[in-house]
Amino acid sequence: MADPTPVADAAASHGGGLPQFDLSQWPGQIVWLLMTFLFLYLMFSRVFVPNIGETISEREDRIAGDIAKARRLKDEAEAQAKAAAEEMHAARDRAQKLAADAKAEAKSNAAKQRAEEAGRLAKGFADAEARIAAARDSAMQHVHSIAVETAGAMISKLTGAPASAAEIDAALSRAAPAGQA
Amino acid sequence: MAAIEPMEQFMIQKIVNIPSFTIPGVGVVDMSITNSVFFMLLTAGLITAFFLACAKRQLVPDRMQAMAEMIYGMVDNTLTGGIIGDRGRPYLPFVFSLFMMIAMMNILGLMPGGFTVTSQLAVTATLAVMTFALVLVVGFAKNGLGFFKLFWPSGMHPAMSAFLMVIEMISFLIRPFTLALRLFGNMLGGHVVVYIFGSFVVGLGLFGLSGFGLNTLGLLGSGLSFAMVLALTALDFIIALIQAFVFSALTCVYLNEVLNLDHGH
Repeated sequence: MADPTPVADAAASHGGGLPQFDLSQWPGQIVWLLMTFLFLYLMFSRVFVPNIGETISEREDRIAGDIAKARRLKDEAEAQAKAAAEEMHAARDRAQKLAADAKAEAKSNAAKQRAEEAGRLAKGFADAEARIAAARDSAMQHVHSIAVETAGAMISKLTGAPASAAEIDAALSRAAPAGQA
Repeated sequence: MAAIEPMEQFMIQKIVNIPSFTIPGVGVVDMSITNSVFFMLLTAGLITAFFLACAKRQLVPDRMQAMAEMIYGMVDNTLTGGIIGDRGRPYLPFVFSLFMMIAMMNILGLMPGGFTVTSQLAVTATLAVMTFALVLVVGFAKNGLGFFKLFWPSGMHPAMSAFLMVIEMISFLIRPFTLALRLFGNMLGGHVVVYIFGSFVVGLGLFGLSGFGLNTLGLLGSGLSFAMVLALTALDFIIALIQAFVFSALTCVYLNEVLNLDHGH
């Protein structure tokens, strides 16, 4: 396919094979390559690797530290929440006790007052009953004397002769014993 | 029709002349800045610029910083940390710079007008020998002569172990070659295949335009070749990163063997 002459020329120009096998080109490349690699190696070992490695480890430390801090804060918050809940519980218990005490006191006060009131009322009733009984007794006395007078007046009007008080009293006592009229 | 020279893209061309020097017993070292050297320097410059731009050390990273940290995390967790473990941490800069350098060289080679430094055997061989030398140095420094336990398979007849030790040593010694050739071959092959399909696009296209009839089929072939170029270029981007990863991962595997020799393997 190709014109044979240039190939032959080219082959002749670099010793009839790959240009890579031209050993006269080796020493210069080797020396330059070693210098280049030495430069790169020094850059990597002195600058790049420590630099990047430290950056990565600093970041990892920071992240680990942040996570530990967050965990600690979370624990603290949980402990505080627990303490607050306990306090709340205790306060509620106290309030319930207080309310129960107040209720009991109010109840006992009310009962005492009611008892006093009832006593006072009972006393009032008793007094009133006594007064009523006294009034009735005195009224009954008056009824007896009125009956005696009425009976004396009626007898004197009917018979024209007054009856003695003792006789009328005896007769009344037979008809209606005192206190029952 | 233009000459098809798939290897021309790997030719070293001088850009700036710098006087060469001679190492006695080795030969002339031409220090001129060539296209290969230029792309090495560009690689180093881009990587440095990228990581300097990302070096903001913010608690909440922005996109650039997050990207740099992601690459760091990949190398740290998957390569040195994942393969070697805690003992691999001191080698993180080495593996990291190796990975970044190879990846950047591979990617730059795929850019239009780019030169693939990693398609130069001199370069991949140097990286491979460097890695191999590091493994040897670390191996002897950490284990002393106990390093040779690496080749001694335990739990079988000593004669069998002795026989396997030879095989283990051979497989150990060919590591620099396999490391170098794997990267070199992948880069070379990828670029050659893209070049050849690219030349089909032009060649068949011109053939198709040269006349009617059967010639027109050439346009179809040209279109198919173009689709192949697209697909292969996408594949080459994946390979560029995978090969950088494979090279660094194997470096870690080899380091792991000598670093955790006492743990058994």
